[in-house]
Amino acid sequence: MKIGYYPGCSLHSTGIEYDLSTRKVCDALGVELAEVSEWVCCGSSPAHQCDELMSIALPAQNMVLAQSDGLKEICAPCASCYSRLKIAKERLKDVAMKKDVEHVLAAECPQDMEILHILDVIMEKVGLDAVAEKVVQSLSGVKVACYYGCLMTRPPKMTGKRDFENPQEMESVMAALGAEPLDWNLKTFCCGASFALTKTEVVLELTKKILADAAAVEADVIAVGCPLCHANLDGRQPQINEKFSTDFNIPIMYFTELMGLAFGVKPKELGLFKHLTDVDDFLRERALI
Amino acid sequence: MKVISQNEIKIDSTLAEEVAKRSGENVFLCYQCRKCASGCPSRSFMDSTPTELMRYVQLGMADEAMKGNTAWFCVSCQTCSTRCPQDIDIAHVIDTLRIIVQEKKIKAETNNIRLFNRIWMIAMKYIGRMYEAGLVGSLNFLTLRPFKDMALGVKMIKKGKIKMIPPIRNPLPTMKMFSRAKGLKK
Repeated sequence: MKIGYYPGCSLHSTGIEYDLSTRKVCDALGVELAEVSEWVCCGSSPAHQCDELMSIALPAQNMVLAQSDGLKEICAPCASCYSRLKIAKERLKDVAMKKDVEHVLAAECPQDMEILHILDVIMEKVGLDAVAEKVVQSLSGVKVACYYGCLMTRPPKMTGKRDFENPQEMESVMAALGAEPLDWNLKTFCCGASFALTKTEVVLELTKKILADAAAVEADVIAVGCPLCHANLDGRQPQINEKFSTDFNIPIMYFTELMGLAFGVKPKELGLFKHLTDVDDFLRERALI
Repeated sequence: MKVISQNEIKIDSTLAEEVAKRSGENVFLCYQCRKCASGCPSRSFMDSTPTELMRYVQLGMADEAMKGNTAWFCVSCQTCSTRCPQDIDIAHVIDTLRIIVQEKKIKAETNNIRLFNRIWMIAMKYIGRMYEAGLVGSLNFLTLRPFKDMALGVKMIKKGKIKMIPPIRNPLPTMKMFSRAKGLKK
């Protein structure tokens, strides 16, 4: 199965582990990821709040590029890219918007490009049975708090997700790997996203709440599907501990990294040593590396 | 009781109309149920609640709607838009207010987001992709806090998560896109 792959800017930098593990997992599941050639930034955090037209035109340009590569689906593992692509697809149904965007791109926008998060690819295109079949090292006994953040599910009018307040897809993938997904409160609460660079205190406050809730249910690890959530939860723990006198040291892993481990991929190939909150102790304790 | 004549009561709907024209969102559908305010993760940082912000737009109170920090503390988490019983895309209304502030160069408490947007949009225009080191470096420099998150940045560079050299690409396609968009706005 061949699917268009839109890594986006983060997966080429701060979210490099997500790129590495997504590629390895897809490889193991027989999904061929074809990177959209000459892709451009989707507009992410800034475009929608300063330039409405470009916030639709930039994702649309990537759909045009994907179509000229002969692709019918785009998989965007970054929740922000996924959201911008989904929203652009919806907004392009407006005739006036489509006309303006096509003028900006000097190209015709594809109507039926399917936009998928990597979790959608696994759930809808691969299936849980195929995931379970690939497991060589069960994650049994590992208690996972699955964290979706905002944009993997919201707004449901754009994403088409049904269980947007209490999603369960990541949990079912974790269960297929043998892990124990936990019931917890803040799985769709915001981490503060790009405010990390402008108003860091917002991120520290919100991220602290998420970490505290995961700690309250005794999670061994928080699984994520967004590079911005990862950067905030993984990278800000020392600052949070200092500010709020806490002692969080919770491993934050992309759900694809956990899948890769269960599939027997070498930790280094998954980028597991690139985390800022070490995962080594946790993985050694569980004899997973 | 003071009796006032009907023509003394006026609601200026200019702002609401502008929001509607730009975003397609009708703020007059809001009946102030406060569901958006109760679910807003950023609420405690804001001058007024998202519900109050909607009221300001309904009443044409442009200064209250745009000069305070409320719109600029919105983290775009989409919780309000998801839960609004009247199906108003509140986050889109807030984005629209921010766009008006930036386009009309209105003085507002923007939490440096105006600058953040400008730097990133420049990167998109001339590089086509994000360049983290450049964004963080210039943002910290221009906001006069050059050492912000220094320890974190050094750790990320050591782990190979931030590249110091910007992605080198042909800038022409995105430059043309931006210039055609600019032409359309004129």
